[in-house]
Order: sequence, then C-alpha cells, then structure tokens
Amino acid sequence: MKRRDVLRGGAAALLALPFVRALERGARAHSTGGYAKRLIIFYHPDGVPGPSSNGEQSAWHPTGGETQFVLPPALASLAPYRNQCVFFRGLSMGSTDVGSHPGGAKKLLTGVDGGNGISIDQRLAQTVGAQDPFHSLYLGAMANQNGASGDKHISYVAPGVSATPDDDPISAFTRVFGSGGTTTGGGTDPKVTRRLSVLDRAKADLDDLRSGLGGGERAKLDLHFDALREVEQRIMATTGGGGGASCQAPSIDATGLTSQTLYAPDRFPQILRAQTDLMVQAMACGRTRIGVLQSSIHTSELIMSRFAGTPMYDPGFDMRSHQASHYGASHDLAHREYKAFVQQSTWWVEQFAYLLSQLRARPEDGGTMLDHSLVLSCTEVCDGNTHGHDDMPFILAGGGSGRIRTGRLLQLGYRRHSDLLVSIANAMGDGLTAFGEASSGGVPGLLA
Amino acid sequence: MRRATLICWVILVGCGNDRGLEGSDDPLSSRGAALYQEMCQVCHGETGEGGLGPVLQDTALTHGELETAIAARMPVNNPGQCAGECATEIASFIRSGLTSSALRCDAVPPGPRQLRLLTRREYRATVHDLFGSSAPAMSCTRGTECAFRDACTAGSCTPSACDAQTFVFDPHGRVLASVHVAGTFNQWPGTIATGGLPLAYNATTGLWQGAFSIGEGIHQYKLVLDEREWIADPRAPSSVPDGFGGANSSFTLDCAGTDDPAAKLVAEGRPAGFPFDTAAASAIVTTAHVDAFLAAAEPLADFATANARVLFPCDWTGQAARCAQDLVDKLGARMFRRPLTTAEAGRYRGLAATDLATAIQALLVSPNFLYRSELGAPSGDHYRLTAHEVATALSYTFLGSTPSDALLAAADQGELDSPAGIERWARALLADPRARTQVGEAVLQWVGGQDVLTVDKRADLVPGFSPATRRALATETRRFAADVVFDGGHTFEDLLRADYTVLDAESAAFYGVPAPSTASGRVRYADGRRAGLLGHASVLATTAHSDQTSPIRRGLLLRRNLLCEQLPPPPPFAGGVPDVDPNATTRERFAMHTANPVCAGCHKYIDGVGFGLEHFDPVGRWRETENGSAIDASGDLTDVERLGTATSAPYTTVPQLASIIATSKAATSCFTRQYLRFSRGVRETLAQRCDRLWLERRFDDAGHDLRELMVQSVLSPAFVERR
Repeated sequence: MKRRDVLRGGAAALLALPFVRALERGARAHSTGGYAKRLIIFYHPDGVPGPSSNGEQSAWHPTGGETQFVLPPALASLAPYRNQCVFFRGLSMGSTDVGSHPGGAKKLLTGVDGGNGISIDQRLAQTVGAQDPFHSLYLGAMANQNGASGDKHISYVAPGVSATPDDDPISAFTRVFGSGGTTTGGGTDPKVTRRLSVLDRAKADLDDLRSGLGGGERAKLDLHFDALREVEQRIMATTGGGGGASCQAPSIDATGLTSQTLYAPDRFPQILRAQTDLMVQAMACGRTRIGVLQSSIHTSELIMSRFAGTPMYDPGFDMRSHQASHYGASHDLAHREYKAFVQQSTWWVEQFAYLLSQLRARPEDGGTMLDHSLVLSCTEVCDGNTHGHDDMPFILAGGGSGRIRTGRLLQLGYRRHSDLLVSIANAMGDGLTAFGEASSGGVPGLLA
Repeated sequence: MRRATLICWVILVGCGNDRGLEGSDDPLSSRGAALYQEMCQVCHGETGEGGLGPVLQDTALTHGELETAIAARMPVNNPGQCAGECATEIASFIRSGLTSSALRCDAVPPGPRQLRLLTRREYRATVHDLFGSSAPAMSCTRGTECAFRDACTAGSCTPSACDAQTFVFDPHGRVLASVHVAGTFNQWPGTIATGGLPLAYNATTGLWQGAFSIGEGIHQYKLVLDEREWIADPRAPSSVPDGFGGANSSFTLDCAGTDDPAAKLVAEGRPAGFPFDTAAASAIVTTAHVDAFLAAAEPLADFATANARVLFPCDWTGQAARCAQDLVDKLGARMFRRPLTTAEAGRYRGLAATDLATAIQALLVSPNFLYRSELGAPSGDHYRLTAHEVATALSYTFLGSTPSDALLAAADQGELDSPAGIERWARALLADPRARTQVGEAVLQWVGGQDVLTVDKRADLVPGFSPATRRALATETRRFAADVVFDGGHTFEDLLRADYTVLDAESAAFYGVPAPSTASGRVRYADGRRAGLLGHASVLATTAHSDQTSPIRRGLLLRRNLLCEQLPPPPPFAGGVPDVDPNATTRERFAMHTANPVCAGCHKYIDGVGFGLEHFDPVGRWRETENGSAIDASGDLTDVERLGTATSAPYTTVPQLASIIATSKAATSCFTRQYLRFSRGVRETLAQRCDRLWLERRFDDAGHDLRELMVQSVLSPAFVERR
C-alpha cells in the first residue's frame, strides 16, 4: 500500500500532534524488570558500499548463515562484538518521498514518509524515558553545519517537525551534568529555588496563553509545556541528590574545542568521541535512557580526508562524505572515490564499535552496560551511489537485558524497517504494536 | 497507527481555520492541493502552469484519465508512489483547483494565526533594546555602554572575565609554605618558579585562594602542596582518573558569546528550501530550548537587577519593594509588548517585591516574552491582530526587534487601527537605523551569504581566509543591501546590477582594491567584472567547495533563491562531482552533465548558469585562468521566466547575467515571495497566493522600490486579518 496519508512539514503537520499524544497515553508504563535499560541510536550519513549499479554484491553486509555468518572487512572492528550484534538482510524502508537522502532521513526514525510522524526516540522519551532527568538526549557532531535545514535531522518531536541536536560537547556536558561545584549537600541551592520559581511562572503564563487556542498553535504550546515540566522535574530531582551507582566522575576530552573549532573538519573525530563519551556517561549516571547520536548530516560535506591518523587522511585532496558515496558504477578500489568510501564506511563502523566498547567496559547488574542496552547503527540510504532504501545497513547491538537474541544474521526477505522500530520499543518495555506507516508488528525472531 | 495518521491528516487540512474536522470546500485548501504541492508542483508548477512537466492548468484531461496517469506514471522518479486515494485526490484538485476561475484573485485571504518564537537574532536585538544602551528607560548613564554581563556602577563598567577560574583550598589548619595549581593549561609545573599558579594564604579566612585567566576548554589540574604533594582539588566540579590510580580535577571554561546573550540558544529549525531563520511553524520549544532560555536569562536578570538603581530612577533606598514592583510593571509591559493582565501582574509583582532578579528572569522565560503573538482577536468570521500585536509585528518586520515605548503608546491611542496609521508608522520605522540591519539580514539570508562564516576552505589553496575576513564579507553584503535600499537606487534591480559594493579595510584587502577613505564606504567596480550581489564573495564562497568551485551550487542558488524555480533532486545513480583533473577546467569537467541526455534534462538549467561565475575562484576572487586554461564564463540563461519555455538569454559577463535576472519578471516575483517568507515566517500555500500577487502588483507599480515592497507588505489585508 503506497497511499500517502500524511502531509509534510509546517504548521499543518503539527496539528496532528494531539492525536499522536493521545495514543501514547495508552502505552504501557515502563518497568525496569526484564526490559532493555536504554537505547542509543547512532547515525552516520550517506549509506555504505552496498550493491553496486553494475550488480556487484554489497561490500558491507555480512554473508552466510544465521549464526555462521562472515563479517566483511568493513565490519572487521565489530568482530569482538559479533555475538552481541544482530545483522539484517532484507530490511527495507519502502519507497520514500521526493529525494532519496532527505526522504530516507525523514523516514529513518519516524517510519513515515516525509517525517510526518514522531520519531521512535521521541516516542520512547514520552513512555519509558519519562521518569528520567532527561527524557531523551539528542547530540550531534557537526549536525548543524552551515545552517542545516530541518530535513537533515532525524529526531522528530512532532509530525513534520524535527528537533535540533546539540553539537557542542562542552555545553552539552554542562547541560547534562551541571556546571558542578554547587551541588553540596544540606541546604537548598538558591539557584535551584530561583529556577523553579521562574519555571512556575512560565507554566502559569503558558496555561493562560494556550487556554483559548486550538490547532497547531495549541500543539506547539503543549510541547512547550511538556518541556517546562521536564526541566522542572529534573531540577527538583537534582535537589534530592543521588546519581547512578555506576556513575564515575564524568569527563570528556574537549581540549581546544571552542565555538571557532566546532565545525573544523579535522576536529570531527574528537567531537564525535566526546559526544559518544558524554552519551555513555549520561546513561551510566542515570541522566537519560534514550539517546540519539547524529554524526554529520545526509549529503554530507564533511571532509573526511582531514581526519589525521586514519587511512582516509590526505592533506592534499579534500574528499567529502557525499562525494565519496557517489563512487561510480562499480566497486573499483583503484577508483579514488570508491577507495575513500570504503575507508569512510569502515571508519563509521569503528566509531560504532568504540561506542560498544565503552558500554561493555562498564559493569552493570552482573554483566556490562552493553548487556542491558540496545544500540542501533543506521544511515539514510543503503548503497551510497544508487540511493536505494532496500536492504538497509542497520546493526542492532546489545543484549537488551536478555530481550534480544544476538549473535545472528537475520535473513528477512523483505521486511519494513518500521518493524525493527516496533521490536526495539517492545524490548524497551513500550508495548506498541505498530509504528509508522507500514509495520506489521515486530521483526520475527528478533526478540527472545 | 494507520488509522490515527488518517485522522490527523483530515484534521491538518481542516483545522487550519479552527472550524472542526471537516475539510474545506475550497479546492485550494483541499487534501489534493497539499499532495499536489508536495509531489507534483516541482515539475508542473505551483498553479499547473507547467515547467519540466506539462501544463495542467485548465487541462482537457478527464478526472479518470488524470487518475490513471498519476497512479501509473507519477511521480516520474518514483512511479507508483501515489496510487489509490492519493491519485484520486490529486486528480480532483487538478480538475477543480487548477482552473483559471478557481485561481482568480478576487480578494486577499487572511494570513495564518500564529505564535512566533523569537529567533536568536531577534532575541539578541530585543534584549539589547530592553537592557542595553538604546532603551531610554534602561540605559547605562553618562555615555558608557556596558556589555550585558558587566556591572554598571555609577556610570562605569566593570567587565567580568569569562575565562577566569577561582581556586580555593582549605588546609584545615595544616601549615603550608606554598600551594600552587598545575594542569593542562600550564603544562603541569612542579614548582611555582617553573610556572605553577600560586595561591595566596588569607589569614582571616584560613584559606588559600587565587583567580587566574586560563583560556577556554575543559581543563584538568591538581593542587600542589609545598611543591611536592600532588592532590585532587576537593572542591573541584568533577574529576577524571589521572592514569596513576588517582584523580585529576576538571573544569570547563567557555567564553563563546560572553557579550552575546543569544550565543547559547538553540539554532532555528528551518524547513528545506526556506532560506530564512524566521519559519514560525518549525520553531518549537524543546527542553534544550528551556535550558538555554533559563541559562541566558540568569545573567541578564542579574545585570538588570544590579543596575536597577542606575537604570530605573526611583526611591530605591526608602521604598525598594515598591520600586521593584513598578519596575516589573513597566519592564513587563515592554517585554510582553502589551500591558500585563491582572493575573500576570500578580505573578510578577509579588515576586519582585522580595526577589527582583528572579522576577526579571521569569519575565525573560515567559512564553509571552519568547513568542510574539499574531493570534489576534475575533473579528467577524475571522481574527484581527490587536493594536499591540500590530505594533509588535511592525517593529519586528522593520527593525527585527521589540516595539519601542512610543510605538506601544501609539497602539494604545488607536493610531494603528487604520491602514493610514500603519503606513505612517511603517515609514517612520524605516527611518530607524535598525531598519538597515534588518534589510541587510533579509538580503544576506536570501542569498545564503551567512554561511561564509563557516563554510570550509582549504587553507593551503586559499590562505588568509580568516574569521575576520569571513565576517567582513558577510558585513559587505549586509551593508551593500542597506546602501541600495536606503541610499542608492532603492530598487530590486540595483541589488543585482549595482556597479559598486560597500567595503571596509578588511574586505577591501581581500578583494585587492584600495580601502575606502571612511571606515566603510562604496567602492566602484571599474573593471566590469562584477555587479551587485553576484559579485559578493559571501555568495561565491558559500556556493563553492573547499577546494574547487561548484557550478551546480551556484546555478541552483540562482534558479532556486533568485528565480524561485524548482528543480527535482538528482535521481538515484546520479554520480558525484567529476574527478578533479589538473589538466582541465571545472567547466570542461562538468561538460558531461550536458553531454549525457539523462543529466542534461535538468543540468542545462543549473550548470549553464553556474558557468557564468567561473571567473571567481572557490572564495570569490577573480581568476583569468584555471589550470593554465583560459576561463570560459559565457552562457545562456535559458527559460529565465519559466522552465520548459525554451527561451534564450545569452551572456558573456557577470553584469550581463545579473541584468538578465534583474529585469526578469520571475526574479521580482520571486523576491516578493522570498520577502514574504522572511517577514511573515510562513512557507506559502496555494491558498495564500493572492496575498503575494497583491503585493507583487504594488511592487511593480512602485517601480520595484524595495522600501515600497516593505511598506506595502504591512498594508496587505493579510497582515492584520488572520484565520
């Protein structure tokens, strides 16, 4: 069924919100027992070296049987985690609206063409994440480069309206962990009292303002109200003190990062590393359980040949992500773009592997954080050159507290990716049965 | 979920006017119209006038024929995507909406009711006008203009260092000879003589203390007692393992935007293809916004409170509580751009009596401050902006900032109730110096020039493209636009055809021309190489790659931003940028786009225009040759008025290219559209088309005087009438 039943963008789309919200109120409340404790979605741009237009097999997807599969060189860094990962063949996003990169990015986490739905991370923020100081955390690495428009961002707070990721590790760190130094025990922090007093009035004013409104502007103010309440709850929780037991003095390496260097391509690896570390520590410290890490943006101008100390490094030639992704008709390693694209894809997988390593390095409930997490690696197209949306190169890692049957390659034939989003929600304890425009329950055989 | 989205969808079409769940009878507001705009318009045109695809307006095809064709073959790059109801709805819309009679403009329809979140730009200007030097009631006296974090005492400013860190160590009575700080910022010196930052002992408090300017970043350090005992700072905000089984202390310093209250606010959400930061529908408030608003408001409120005695004359010694309440009344009305309601006054006055700083911070975080309301009050079968809302809309439209006391007073006195009164104020506001800034910003964003601040350039290929140069180039475009509108020829054509630009010493040095005699001034293009905005490096650098020009990006800018022509995205298998070839010019490399008929269908419209700017290198400096070959910058701006019309407009120089665009009907029509997007914050729908045509006619009548475009835009019935 390819009917298009929702519209894209703007005020009109926001009007749909009250109904989405009504649905969510029916969702099952989260109980920590037996469900995955957290979800991290790791995004990278511009696809992978998938099936070429000349008909060559994907150079990225694993091959072989359900458990006896082989990881191609691009996925070599995942070898230590292969038993904690699930790989997929036949996972499709269906056709997407005009524009394969933007169409894919809009549909990636919403499951709806044109981004005309709330994204799975935002939904889970309202259900299983609603008790945490941050219902969700959306971090970026150069994801707002050159005034990126909303269709470059993958997290949707409302149909047609994407959120803006925080690209600055220092300000994000401060936001998540506070500026420190003021959280001494005993008396109430005057700053906290002050902020609560400010929020109190903002809420009262907002209630007055929205009482006479309907439609899109009402939906906008409802979102605003939710945000005020979330911040208020977080501030109140801070006064009560107490963080996660496994929370070690959080830190990130932001040496030399300033607003001047936040978009310097040679800084990208450091920034992504800092945001990854921040995300893992925010989770370890119980600040949030739902996170999206967006590395760059689709049709990326990121000059990956500036990454010192990597095989991509070439100070004499600027190779951008999107440029490399259009490597030509075939997998020809003698061709500069293809060689660079393979290196780039390999590097993105290595960054995902690093994220997994950080989760696995932290003990939790008799295992590691990775055992209790769900970590999804995704991108908006399959092959970077042909722009297809079939056989999407997603990886689901982490045991999800035993909810996920890992260490497998799932041959799905043709299965819509919305089903994967449903399975992820279910493993998190959100009992939704369908998500997006075309799901028929979860991915069969994925959950334990 | 499926059912839910269907319901939503009905609402989304029917609810725009608050009339319930039924779809409108107006075919231009129908579901089919929205689907058409999303999927078909790119090739068939906004009104079915045709383009890359055939004409559909007043089509002779039957409903059934349209339905079948859509379901089977449309859209071209993804056939089958729109079958069933989708095809039916669109076919109905084409038959009933894309007809001469349905498209006739008998009246200007009301504009949308909306709440507009302040952009970062507007927040900055608003805060400056409220707490900075230009607001009469709140200015630092005696000629001193303080940055907002400075303390303003008796007319002088005390700046606060943004990169200073204070260290305190409590020895708990232990007697020490020295305590110093060693860390990443001073290379961990073991002694004070080798660079350790010494703390001083205060016998009264019994503490060791010191404050040092350290620099931005996340830092690690330890305290060193008597130059031999290294310990973590017990008072440090956080700590990290030191690699020796202990811990380093850590803290963060960030100076970004010390003087910019909006520096840490969240970037505006912007729909694709909408060049401006003003889109109202996507400006929603998330927790990241709330955190940022709270944080930005704190120092502002402290600043205002600390300086209240200077800024707000009152008997602060004798009647502090009453003074605070009066201040909040006055300030609140300025900030909400209307008098406070009784309930609001109660909320803020009570707080102000005991805690003025918190009351002011609360005003700054109130939705009544953060949104400017264009909701209006009921008036017949629709809504009409209140006088205060008109004042607000006028002020933000022309000045990008909050209305003055005088403008709000004019609203109170009914001056804004008539078009004549609105026009008088519109012209008065245009004479305010801030109108120049606003015009500069509109034009800069229209051509995407603000990205010159961040767009990456290869340092070895283009040395000296420093942050200062980048800022100067963005400033050039802003100042040039203001010069054209207010001092020069005033017309749209001049924006593209002017034979001069406005430079300062920094930008003049970049272009290699003599600096103007004043700090900034006009510099004439004597060589005929450049004309108007197309000669600006802000435009040329932003539309080029780091190491090479991009005829595609430059061509698309002209087609999309200047002519409002839509081109479909490249199909799958498009292939990337042709390989860099040291023996070929960029034009030669891109020749395949026009040689291959699959590519040529669109690229003849894109590269063909972009080639005209090939004399400008990746940062916009003139070049005669590329890789040893002469540059060929001739071209043909085919189909300038509408794609698919097979017209020809050859040129050999940039001034000629600029003239072709400037004198086209498509460009003036497009600029009207873009200005309405910028000022109204709305991505127009077909239903609002008559508002644009109304304004376009007046723009034409005024000889494309840009001042008239701005004034007439607020005289359109859609400015005050809302639905």
